[in-house]
Amino acid sequence: MSDTVTKNEPPRHVASTAAMLTPTQRMLREAWSKPSFKFGFFTFTVLLLGALIYPEISSIDPTKMNIKARHTPPLFVGDWSWAHPLGTDHLGRDLLVRCLVGLRYSVLIGCATVVMMFIVGCGLGLLSGFKGKFTDTIIMRITDAQLSIPMIILAIAILGVSRPTVPAIILVLGLSGWPLYARVARSVTLSEKSKEYIKGQRVLGASDWRIIFLFVAPAVLPPIAFVAVLDVARMMIFESILGFLGLGVQPPTPTFGNIIADGRKYLINAWWIATMPGLFLLFTLTSLNLMGSALEGARNNVLKGAA
Amino acid sequence: MDGSASAHARKARRLYLLIFLSRRLLQGAVVLLIVTFAIFTLLRVVPGDPARLIVGGMAPDEVVVQKAEELGLNDPIPVQFLKYLGEIARGDLGNSFVRAKSGSMGGAVAFDDPSRGDRAEVLDLIVERVPLTLQLAGLAVVFALIISFPLGVAAGLNPGSWKDKLAFFAGSVFVSVPNFWLGIVLALLFSVQLGILPSIGYKGFEYTILPAFVLAIEMAPFIIRTLSVSIAQVMQEEFISVAPLRGLMRSRIVGAHAIRNASIPLLNLFGIQLGSLLGGVLVIEFIFDYPGLGRLTINAVLQRDFPLIQGIAIFISGMFVFINIAVDLAASFIDPRLEY
Amino acid sequence: MSANKTILGVQELTVGLRDDPSSRILDNVSFELGAGKVLGVIGEAGSGKTVLARAIVRGLTEPLTYEAGQVFCLGEDIMSLSPKKLAEIRGNKIGYIGSNPAGALDPTIPVGEQIVEKLLSVSSGLSRSAAKDRVLDVLTAVRIPSPEVRFHEYPFQFSGGMMQRVMIVDALVTNPSVLIADNITQALDVTVAAQIIRLVRELRDKFSTAILFISSSLPVVETIADEVLVLQQGKIIEQATPSALIDSPQHDYTKSLLARLPRIWGPEISGPAASDAPTLMAIEDVHRTYLVRKKGTFRGMNAVQAVRGVTLDIREGENIGIVGESGCGKSTLTRLLAWLEVPEQGTIHFAGEDLSQLSRPELTKLRQSFQLLLQDPYSSLPSRMAVGRIIAEPLLIHGNLKKPEIRDRVLEAMNEVGLDQALENQLTVGLSAGQRQRINIARALVLEPRLLILDETLSALDQVEQSKLFELFDRLQKKHGFTYIFISHDMALVRKVCHRVAVMYLGRIVELADNKTLFEDPVHPYSKALLSAVPTLDDHPFKSQEYLLEGEPPSPVDIPTGCSFRSRCPVALTKCETIDPEAKILTGGGQASCHLVDENQPSPNYQVAAAV
Repeated sequence: MSDTVTKNEPPRHVASTAAMLTPTQRMLREAWSKPSFKFGFFTFTVLLLGALIYPEISSIDPTKMNIKARHTPPLFVGDWSWAHPLGTDHLGRDLLVRCLVGLRYSVLIGCATVVMMFIVGCGLGLLSGFKGKFTDTIIMRITDAQLSIPMIILAIAILGVSRPTVPAIILVLGLSGWPLYARVARSVTLSEKSKEYIKGQRVLGASDWRIIFLFVAPAVLPPIAFVAVLDVARMMIFESILGFLGLGVQPPTPTFGNIIADGRKYLINAWWIATMPGLFLLFTLTSLNLMGSALEGARNNVLKGAA
Repeated sequence: MDGSASAHARKARRLYLLIFLSRRLLQGAVVLLIVTFAIFTLLRVVPGDPARLIVGGMAPDEVVVQKAEELGLNDPIPVQFLKYLGEIARGDLGNSFVRAKSGSMGGAVAFDDPSRGDRAEVLDLIVERVPLTLQLAGLAVVFALIISFPLGVAAGLNPGSWKDKLAFFAGSVFVSVPNFWLGIVLALLFSVQLGILPSIGYKGFEYTILPAFVLAIEMAPFIIRTLSVSIAQVMQEEFISVAPLRGLMRSRIVGAHAIRNASIPLLNLFGIQLGSLLGGVLVIEFIFDYPGLGRLTINAVLQRDFPLIQGIAIFISGMFVFINIAVDLAASFIDPRLEY
Repeated sequence: MSANKTILGVQELTVGLRDDPSSRILDNVSFELGAGKVLGVIGEAGSGKTVLARAIVRGLTEPLTYEAGQVFCLGEDIMSLSPKKLAEIRGNKIGYIGSNPAGALDPTIPVGEQIVEKLLSVSSGLSRSAAKDRVLDVLTAVRIPSPEVRFHEYPFQFSGGMMQRVMIVDALVTNPSVLIADNITQALDVTVAAQIIRLVRELRDKFSTAILFISSSLPVVETIADEVLVLQQGKIIEQATPSALIDSPQHDYTKSLLARLPRIWGPEISGPAASDAPTLMAIEDVHRTYLVRKKGTFRGMNAVQAVRGVTLDIREGENIGIVGESGCGKSTLTRLLAWLEVPEQGTIHFAGEDLSQLSRPELTKLRQSFQLLLQDPYSSLPSRMAVGRIIAEPLLIHGNLKKPEIRDRVLEAMNEVGLDQALENQLTVGLSAGQRQRINIARALVLEPRLLILDETLSALDQVEQSKLFELFDRLQKKHGFTYIFISHDMALVRKVCHRVAVMYLGRIVELADNKTLFEDPVHPYSKALLSAVPTLDDHPFKSQEYLLEGEPPSPVDIPTGCSFRSRCPVALTKCETIDPEAKILTGGGQASCHLVDENQPSPNYQVAAAV
């Protein structure tokens, strides 16, 4: 009905100062008020700082073998010696340092991959949604095809042949994940394109490019930003899977995947080797996910006008 | 009378269904073609010589060259591809480069060993393994739903409450767990320490339980989140708030209407998540040494068994196409506003 | 049992907000509804009407809470019933119809099934097939065509009017003692709303249900109610029979309500007179058809003929109104006028230039002179831009001025439309509908246009804001010499403001006349039907008994041969089935497409001057 108007009135309790902040600022402010966000933020920061600093200041070399100290249990299981807080592996290498170095690679690869997927996926998604018709169909078919090839297959095929390097790993992971970004970007583009105010802009004389840059792209960014934050976590898991299968960064450089792969053999007498890296991952990723979800909740509140 | 009017409508709907199916199958075939070509080319472009792998590392160069010729690996890629397509049209997915019909793998044997003769047919290899993988996936879905449904629905019906926060927290943790690590830890716990569930290989249905559980934990967070968001959204809809005024009881409103409407995003999720689900199956089967399609795939790729890899790729792609069509069909049965 | 049994008794009902103990959404409301009577409740937006409707059936949602009072239905105390008993009473004894028919039922289940579901939930011992039969009976009673087929259809397949009929069925299927009709015609077209009211009256006679009829429109309530309550800010301030209320209102608020009712007909009521001025925009025989994929074929397309040959001239300085109901092609025509879409046939000239012949830069430049103001104040503004920037945007697009000059223009425009300059750097969150529309106007003003197209621009505003904005439009017109095209469904607005009016039906202009002629002496049967359905207290020169149509307009995919209106025309001739009437120019300058004009009926004053 042309005369029934959606009365999406903002609720009365929007603070008057709120109107002065941009939506992004309000979203951040709202997210900070949630305990889950604070917890996630602190945990992640601590872990990240630990990964960056501890291996530098510690005198222990993560790759140096020390057969005498092999299979030392972590401090809370064994005799509470602080020499190796998380124990050592089958070659006597300190687990804490190894895990922290592994965390560096995880985060690096995770972030770099996401950045790549963001750029490629968003670009294609925007193009697909805005131009429509033929361009849209082609890009969507490519997306479907890409989605049909599981990451593992791609990884094994490409990385299984020669010594995998960090750029190659990023490429493989990125290839497997960009379709998600393209899809989200496309659907936001489609919905934004059909909004009333875009019609108004066209009447004012705005060109297509102007509309894309001033209005559509800023609308696409927030949802994708969420996908991106949570995806860093997902890519970190993938990186560890690759490491586990022997397709990641190669030993002796420690990554979560290869530590667990090694540790699997010693599950019965030295269970901590395989378990500790997983716990690291668990904490890192949980904190990332808590932050991401808190941000998303905050954004929804801001959109509804309640913040 | 009812009769002719609804009979006409039924006939129209059937015709429409046919048209929808043919259109989607056509599109699916295009996707299949792209995927097949991509994998085909990838295998041949990336370094690593299957001919050498087949004849063994010790074989003299002429034998390798001869083998490569025999397998058609020296022709240009488009030619090879067309030949391959021709074979597929005849229903022949080729023979494995590596596996013998007897089930053993020929890779380790010397190049002139006679047992290298009989290669297993790709189609047989695939068909053998599929039921086990389906069993795994099926059980995993059941476990996932058992875990996620109560959490998701409770969260959706009570946004902001402790149920909502619990579901959110559970989801966040589940999604942060690396599946292979969980598999190892659970195997440690249940097989080694407690001894109640088996974890390696397959000698009976109980071997599916632990792997399925790990897969379920991988799937659960997405179901929980999608369900809680969509139920919360549906409960805000006008027809839900009007329903009690018309005399419907809450149990009926939630059970027959809210969940029904909320299940469509869930179905869509399934279609989208299929790819990562498959990735999870591969890794899980590898870890638990579960003899399904996943383990077959990983080994095939590690051994550069071209025909097998291609065959599996086609099969998996085809399955995706079908599942996506089924998902769209199911969604449009539930919600008639959706144009197939 | 006495014939004056009280079906519904409300005593001192008070409703407030949970967080604010002093708030009173409903304040001490008391009334009684007797069997078979119709009690009307009128109030403006925010008076608490819908809250009242929901409160009576114990259907309040957070943050509203019951503070005091009781509701008795057939002797039962609603507030103290168990959930099961409450559900029974709600389904069985009380029928409820809301204001939004489209959203009232589950979109994924056929409508018939849902009514059966309701019936089975509240009546024990009824078999499914008996329930289905009952539903079909009532569907027939509300005059839904082909009920057996529509039983299996889904809500989205029903138009607004038809869906409201379905909801009436849903409410009446259990033969309730009382029916609560909460603003049931608000979302509907004028003629459809009139049909629904007529239907409700008939059903009342047939089923002898007591009705609580809530509406924001006194003229509507007047036609149906035995008594009327006036609700202001949650309090009942007056109660009287309709005629008593209208002839001798007691309370000041009632008096002001009556005074503010738009007048269409009366001894001193008239609209502005048309004048002869040069043509600013000339629309010649434009056509616009959409191709929509036909369900059930591989590539078959349906042709939706949205605009089928519209010819119109817009004169400089005038206000011209284009009216019509849903599906008449108004929205498409609006897009064509704003040149958002291009007609596949016909031309549009603006200031002498053929728009289709212009190059892109020329078109962009000319765009500065004709602007479109949209309807929805919320979705028509970008949500992430500051107010000042929104208004400056057109100047930035056209790139004529420098930064400081742009700012000056923006502030000047804000001043002119009555926006506080302090809003310049604020986002649009928190601004009212009226303020938002002012931003829209300022944005259009900044380019110094000559023509403004107002697409239902005032529909989203309440009456107070509407009149304020009217004054603004008036002032701007006097100062800048604007020409306005008002696209609207609101006849009262058009009567007040427009010099000439065009009536659209199924993509054509069926009549074009100056204000006085259209409202007092229209020629086309559709114009008369439209006018007969307008809710007003004035003396209708066109009685609905004679002129009100049945049914709904045919789909633009399937337009009847000959005159497109003949399928509903009360006075159609045989020639109307085969020959499509052309637009004939009448003395006085109007035009109409009707064979009756030819035959010189029913207004012999009009002579056909020449065929267009």
